[in-house]
Amino acid sequence: MKKKIIKLTLFILAFGIVGYNSVYIKKLDEVKAASKGFDASDFARKFWQNKLRPALGKASDTEQLLTQLQQQKEKTFKEYGHSLGMGNIKYFLSKGKGVVQEVSENNVSIQVGPDTVRIATEYVFGNAVRDASGQINLSEFSNTMDLNNVSAELNKIIRSEVLPAFRKQVKKGDTVEFAGAIELNQKFPDMHSVEVMPIALRVVK
Amino acid sequence: MIKEASVNQRTEPHPVQLGQSYWVKFQSLIALFILCVAISLVSDKFLTVANGWNVLRQISVNICLSVGMTLVVLTAGIDLSVGSVLALCGAITAGLLKNGIEWPAQNIYIGFTILGAVLIGLLVGAALGGFNGWIITKFNVPPFVATLSMLTIARGLTMLWTKGFPISGLGDTFLYLGTGWFLGIPVPVWVSLIVVVFAVLMTSKTRLGRYIYAIGGNENASRLSGIKVNYVKILVYTIAGGLAALGGLLVTSRLDSAQPNAGISYELDSIAAVVIGGTSLSGGRGSILGTVQGAVIIGVLNNGLVLLDVSPFWQQVVKGIVILLAVIIDKSNSKND
Repeated sequence: MKKKIIKLTLFILAFGIVGYNSVYIKKLDEVKAASKGFDASDFARKFWQNKLRPALGKASDTEQLLTQLQQQKEKTFKEYGHSLGMGNIKYFLSKGKGVVQEVSENNVSIQVGPDTVRIATEYVFGNAVRDASGQINLSEFSNTMDLNNVSAELNKIIRSEVLPAFRKQVKKGDTVEFAGAIELNQKFPDMHSVEVMPIALRVVK
Repeated sequence: MIKEASVNQRTEPHPVQLGQSYWVKFQSLIALFILCVAISLVSDKFLTVANGWNVLRQISVNICLSVGMTLVVLTAGIDLSVGSVLALCGAITAGLLKNGIEWPAQNIYIGFTILGAVLIGLLVGAALGGFNGWIITKFNVPPFVATLSMLTIARGLTMLWTKGFPISGLGDTFLYLGTGWFLGIPVPVWVSLIVVVFAVLMTSKTRLGRYIYAIGGNENASRLSGIKVNYVKILVYTIAGGLAALGGLLVTSRLDSAQPNAGISYELDSIAAVVIGGTSLSGGRGSILGTVQGAVIIGVLNNGLVLLDVSPFWQQVVKGIVILLAVIIDKSNSKND
């Protein structure tokens, strides 16, 4: 009988210690007041102004980038490519200047040196702009939904602030300065249809 | 005299049989050795210290699952739910750690420390395993069907709990479990090592271990000899569930994220490790160390195929062929026995 009581006491004691160190209780309204939700729009705006735009100064030259990709693929991907996850898809922050070859409904084709690149003007989706700068810190996000919302907000800025003026102005034969993000598959890079998600666009004439 | 001689002739193994038994005993190790040599000949990245740790860290999760699976298979059962239980327990731990539990009606928030969240994750895994065992023994449901149901139930619960989204950002302390180092060895390797040591001791030195082998060998005879077969089976499934939960904690910690689709097809990898390690699917024969060898073979094979840049689709084909070969060899060994 004594043994049983001792065992029971020890069990309750152990359970109490473990329980005390496992759980804490607070008032729900205090916890909610302390934790503000993630504002993707605000984050994207600050990221655009404080990180992405300044990073364009260090962006690779598109003509050189495309030449290097054809000559030293692995080295160029390693040196200039960025990605947040594993896999073959890499993003490049690049800028250049070229002559408009064609203005179509979905994009503007520009001759850059010997190559032609397309500036996306209609379908601005995906994570290219977010990931190309290499400036996103994953630890700032508690879930991938927040991370994806940042991409959506950045693309929204491009659609509302970068593209409208450019689309009104641009025509065949114009000289255009551009900066943006290029997405390429490291294993099978398609150099014949390079698309730039624009971050900055200017018609020079 | 003549009788004595004939007895001796029967008991002493023939040299050819002796060679065969050694071959059977070491066939997994020989296969592993051949695999390592073959991969290192075609990839210079394979035989590096960093890759070695990488392989060991990766197989730690499979070892946890496979040790539990071995115990289940030794009782002539099978547990198809380990991958889903792994995902659910990882998600529950991550969810409790990150969001706690809200009780708006009482304006109460219950927060969990790492200890609390981890304990609850492990308990949920063990409880789900125990439930499997109870269903199998109480209603005489075939283990394949019972655990297949649990596979779906646990996956559905994971989706409900996570609402289909990953739960990330679990803090540096929790990350240590999956990514940390202790005495120059990755923490997950320590965890799997402790699991293996306990399991080896349990199967070889305890009464429970002998009961497990006995039940797998002949369930009716075990029951008639006084072994509480149902109790042992429930216990074995409980352990398997708990170890699946432990695997879930390692995965969640390593990724710093509980993914709702984590652990899909992990049950196949663990069954493969068990079969390649020489444990008979009909129960009663096998060992934990054999399973560890099987898990290492699967891990090295996965790693080698990735290093050789083999398409993931072909990787599945190769793995399937290896499992098939292991089962054929197992059957042929059983015949020889």
